[in-house]
Order: sequence, then structure tokens, then C-alpha cells
Amino acid sequence: MLEIKNLKATINEKLILKGLDLNIKPGEVHAIMGPNGSGKSTLANVLSGKNGYEIEGKISFNGIDLNDLKIEERAQKGIFLAFQYPLEIPGVNTNNFLRTSLNSVRKARGEKELDTLTFLKLIKEKAKELNIDEKFLSRQLNVGFSGGEKKKNEILQMKLLEPKLSILDETDSGLDIDALRIVADGVNSYKNKENAFLIITHYQRLLDYIKPDFIHVLSAGKIIKTGNADLGEQLEKTGYVNLS
Amino acid sequence: MKQNYDFDIEKIKNLSQKEKVSRKKNLDLFYESGFPSKQVEDWKFTDLKLILNKNFDNISNEVNFESSKEFKAIESFEHNFIFLTNGKIISTNFDHEEKNKILIKDFNQEEEVKNIDPSNALALLNTALSSGGFSLEITKDYKLKKPLVVYNCFSQDLKNKILNNKNSIKLNEGSELTLVDYSDNNTQSNFIKNTVDNVSLDKNSVLKNILIQNSKNNGHFYKYIKSSLEGGSSYESYILSSGLKLNKIEIEINLNKDNSSCSIYSALNLLDDQHQEIKTRINHNSPNCKSYQKIKNVLNDKSKGIYQGKIFVEKIAQKTDAYQLSKALIVSDNAEFDAKPELEIYADDVKCSHGSTSGSIDSDAVHYLMTRGISKKEAIKLLINGFLSEVLEKITNSELKIFLEKILERQINGH
Repeated sequence: MLEIKNLKATINEKLILKGLDLNIKPGEVHAIMGPNGSGKSTLANVLSGKNGYEIEGKISFNGIDLNDLKIEERAQKGIFLAFQYPLEIPGVNTNNFLRTSLNSVRKARGEKELDTLTFLKLIKEKAKELNIDEKFLSRQLNVGFSGGEKKKNEILQMKLLEPKLSILDETDSGLDIDALRIVADGVNSYKNKENAFLIITHYQRLLDYIKPDFIHVLSAGKIIKTGNADLGEQLEKTGYVNLS
Repeated sequence: MKQNYDFDIEKIKNLSQKEKVSRKKNLDLFYESGFPSKQVEDWKFTDLKLILNKNFDNISNEVNFESSKEFKAIESFEHNFIFLTNGKIISTNFDHEEKNKILIKDFNQEEEVKNIDPSNALALLNTALSSGGFSLEITKDYKLKKPLVVYNCFSQDLKNKILNNKNSIKLNEGSELTLVDYSDNNTQSNFIKNTVDNVSLDKNSVLKNILIQNSKNNGHFYKYIKSSLEGGSSYESYILSSGLKLNKIEIEINLNKDNSSCSIYSALNLLDDQHQEIKTRINHNSPNCKSYQKIKNVLNDKSKGIYQGKIFVEKIAQKTDAYQLSKALIVSDNAEFDAKPELEIYADDVKCSHGSTSGSIDSDAVHYLMTRGISKKEAIKLLINGFLSEVLEKITNSELKIFLEKILERQINGH
């Protein structure tokens, strides 16, 4: 599904990713762990198409060169990034945003856009699954939401847009145990043979709930080690320092 | 430039000799200065003389038109209406109300709107050339059950014409009215509309005045609203305006007695080379009055927006509570926004605050929305809508609110 070959990314003349290779197939859950500054979030940003990066190397998503796709086209083709710090957008009503987003994606897929009533029914169902109070949906997007509410809102968007590849950038940070469980359940219930996940995290914690097929250790812009779920527990004991 | 004007008082019907003489005097006063240029402080950001010279070869007044009996009525909410063509009453309908509680007639040509600043050249011209308008009065304690929509339509034959109208709205003690002043038709001709509205609110009356300028045309509009408020009365004004080549709305509110209050909310989305100015003057003439202003402008393309707002507090107007905020979102590098907030305070126990900010679209927010499959263009529209729709928050009539949200959305989409 996702093939990354020798990816280099530079921002403000600083080389952050220094030749990264990664292959993700449908149905797989990959985790990327690594110390601060290793390039984890840069990878997420580059995949989402954030401006400002100079890119070398190849990223292909289901056979399409990602560099040829605009930010919104990546989302429409099925790449979803759950932000580490979801933005507060004053004035923009959450429901209105969610409907515009869903309909943009549906339109691009050649599906019929949903009218307000059908949409509201759908969003209420999805919100309930994540234990999100309906009143959040009529508030301004993320404005005054707690950290946990913002993260839940990201997962809600994921479930709504039904992406093929979901990238979760430090989704566990700022979550208490209950919220963590809800978020993990949300991810697990969406997981199937067709879609894949790339989970970026500092800690083993989230991986106790969402079991990865592969764990990669990113250090100084390169993947230096790949293993199975046991690698996470090992890292938790030994830290990253002893790997290099 | 005088040679370019062809202003003839004789064209106006049913004027007494005395009235003609008085109008001639006003016209002469107007000729002394002509249309104001930027040298006039009140027009420093809107050089009307220059703009008119650029867009008009000659200007004449005209009062006889082909008027259509048809107009496209609003279907979103039940309402009463006054239908105007070129400012003159064509028909009215108050089927939702007790008819004897509402007095509606043509504006009395002999009646004068008092105390208009003699340095206001357009007001002088209006007095000289006014072909009337409507005069509305609501009797004591009558609260209209449905909003009143004033439909402003224009005929097609207005090239190089100036329309001058005067309207009067009087709410007697304890009465209530929601008035939607609605312009939504697209005449192609290049014309000027110069309107003076006189609003008089008696004790404890409530007026909600919603101005919707929704036509996309070559109109050059100036509207002067002068209102006087008695004790406990309230004047709430909303302005949604987009699409005119030039639009200047000047609102003067006189808080004459205790506990009267006013608010002005405006949401303006300007496109192309549109030029729009909101100018306000709030006179706190009595203690314990409140005024609130929130002016929001979005400037696209080569548009220009202006807000000049003055709060004046008389020495006796203690415990005044006045608030004024202007926020502009500048979307294009070629757009311009000017703000001139002013406070003039002679009382010593008052709460007055004002602020003015302008900024650009938050690129991180655009990015976030785009990662959700929304195109850049749509993302910017969502943000603009978020920015402007805030001014509608206080509207309690939900049907009306939904209607206004739709209007705003349409204006953001470029009509």
C-alpha cells in the first residue's frame, strides 16, 4: 500500500529524514518509535503533504507517486493523519466541518454527497461509539476541547472518512487511561484486512492496546531496527540509547 | 465638475412653491462643495468625487420609471413586506398583523429630517432631490408578530441616474419591530442611490434592523441612518453587505435618555474591486446607556474596506458602557482595510473599550482542513464563514438566523 524508498526530507536547510525505507501492506499495523528529534513527526508531515519540506526519494501509495498529489487529494485517496496537536479553529462549527470534509472525500470517490439529515444521523452514531458527547459536535472545532477530547475528535474523523492508511501521530500523548482505551478501541474496531495503520509514538503504552505487526525504531532520520511487537517491550526496558 | 450634473427639482412631482424654494437652497449649498472628496475628513478613505468621476459621464436625477410589480419573495420565513421600486412604495402587505396598529404611507415630502449635519453634502443633496420613500409608524405597545421585509428593487433604466430617498421609521412606546432591509436584484446599469433613514424609538421600544445588501451590480450606494432613542429603548442593527461597487453606510445613533442601548454587528465579505465603508457615530447623551459594535470585514481580491467609528460621551452621560471592535481578515495582497476608531469622552465614570485588528488567513488552519480532503479554496471559505458568522450569534429568531447564515454563505461564495 505504502512504499517509501530512500526518503530524505529537509526543512529550513536542515536534513531531518536521511534515507528512510518503509513498506506497509494492507491489514498491517506498523509502529514507529524513537527518541525526540529523530524525525517521527516529520515523517507524518511529509506523508500528509505539509508545505515547506524539500523531498528526495520515492513515496508511492497504491502505485501513485505521492509527490504528485495535493494535500487534499492525499486525504481523498485515503491517507489520514491524526494530528499530535489538533488545531483549534474558532468560528468553524465542528459538524459543518465534518460534513464538508466527508462530502469532499465522497465527491472525490465518485460517491453521492450526504444531505444534512443523513449526515447528522451518521455522525451521531460514530460519536456515540467513541463516547463523544453530541454537544461537542455543535461547538467550534476543537475550541476549548480538552486534550483527550481533541484526540477523540481526530479518531472520529478517521472513522468518518474511512481511510486506507491512518497515521496516528502521538495520539496517546495527553490521554488519560480511559480516553486511551476509548481511542484504542476506536482504532481496533476500524482495523480490517483492507486498511493499514502507522502509529507514531514515544511509548509502549498505546501499543499495549493496539497490537502492532511491526515496530520500527527511528533514530537520526533513519530506521535503525525493525522487529515484532516484542521490540516495544524491550525498548521500554533498555531505552533507545543502547540500540545504536 | 458642476457641468456634469443635471439636477432638476422640477422633475419632482407635487411640491409646493415653498418646498421648491427650500430645496433649491439645499441644492445650492450642495453645489458649493459638490460630491465630497478625500479632503473632507468624513470621506478621507472614500474619495467619492474621484470614484464618481471615474465611473459616470454625467449624473441626473429622475423620478419617473417603469416599475415592475413582480419581485422574488423570501420563502424561508413568514413575513410582512413593503415592496419598493427605486425607493417608492409599490405595494405593502401586513396580513400577519392587526392592521390598525401599523401606519404606512408615502414619506411626506414636506417633512424634514431634523438636525442633519449641514456639512454632509449628500444629505443636502438628498433633501434637495428626494423623491420620497416610505413612512412607517407602529402604535404604542404593538409588537409585530412577524418580521417586516422591505424589498428594494430597481428598474433597468438607471444608467447615470441618482436616486434620492427618505424613509421614516417610528416606534411608539413599548412597540417592537424586526425590519429586514433587503436588496437583491441585479440591474446592470451604473447608478447612485442616496438614502436617508430617520429612525425614532420611543420609550421601551425595540427595533431590530437587518440590512442585507445582496445584489451584485454597479450600484454606488450611500445610506445615512439617523436614529434617536428614548429611555429603555433598544436598537439592534445587523449588516450583511456584499456585491456593490461602492457602498457607504453611515449610522448615527443618539442615546438620548437613560437605559437606552444600541448594537451594530456587521459581517462584510468584499470581492473584486468592491469598496465598502461603515461609518458610525454613537452619541451617549444620557447616563446609563450601552452601545456595542462589532464590525467584521473580509477583504478579497482588490477590494477595499473601511470602518470609521466614533463614540462620543457627553459630560452628563455617566455610567456609559461602550464597546467597539473591528476585525479584518485580509485574504489578498491587493486588498486594503482602513480603520479609524475614535473615542471622545467628557464624562469621568464610564467604561469604554475599543480595538481594531487585521490579519491574514491562518495557514496552519488551512493545512489542517486540507488534510481532511477539503480543497484550499473551500478551506478558506470555511474559515471566512467561521470568522464572519460569529456576528449572527445573538439572533434569537431561528428561522431568520438560518436565512441570514445562508445569505452569508452565498455572499462568501461570490453570490
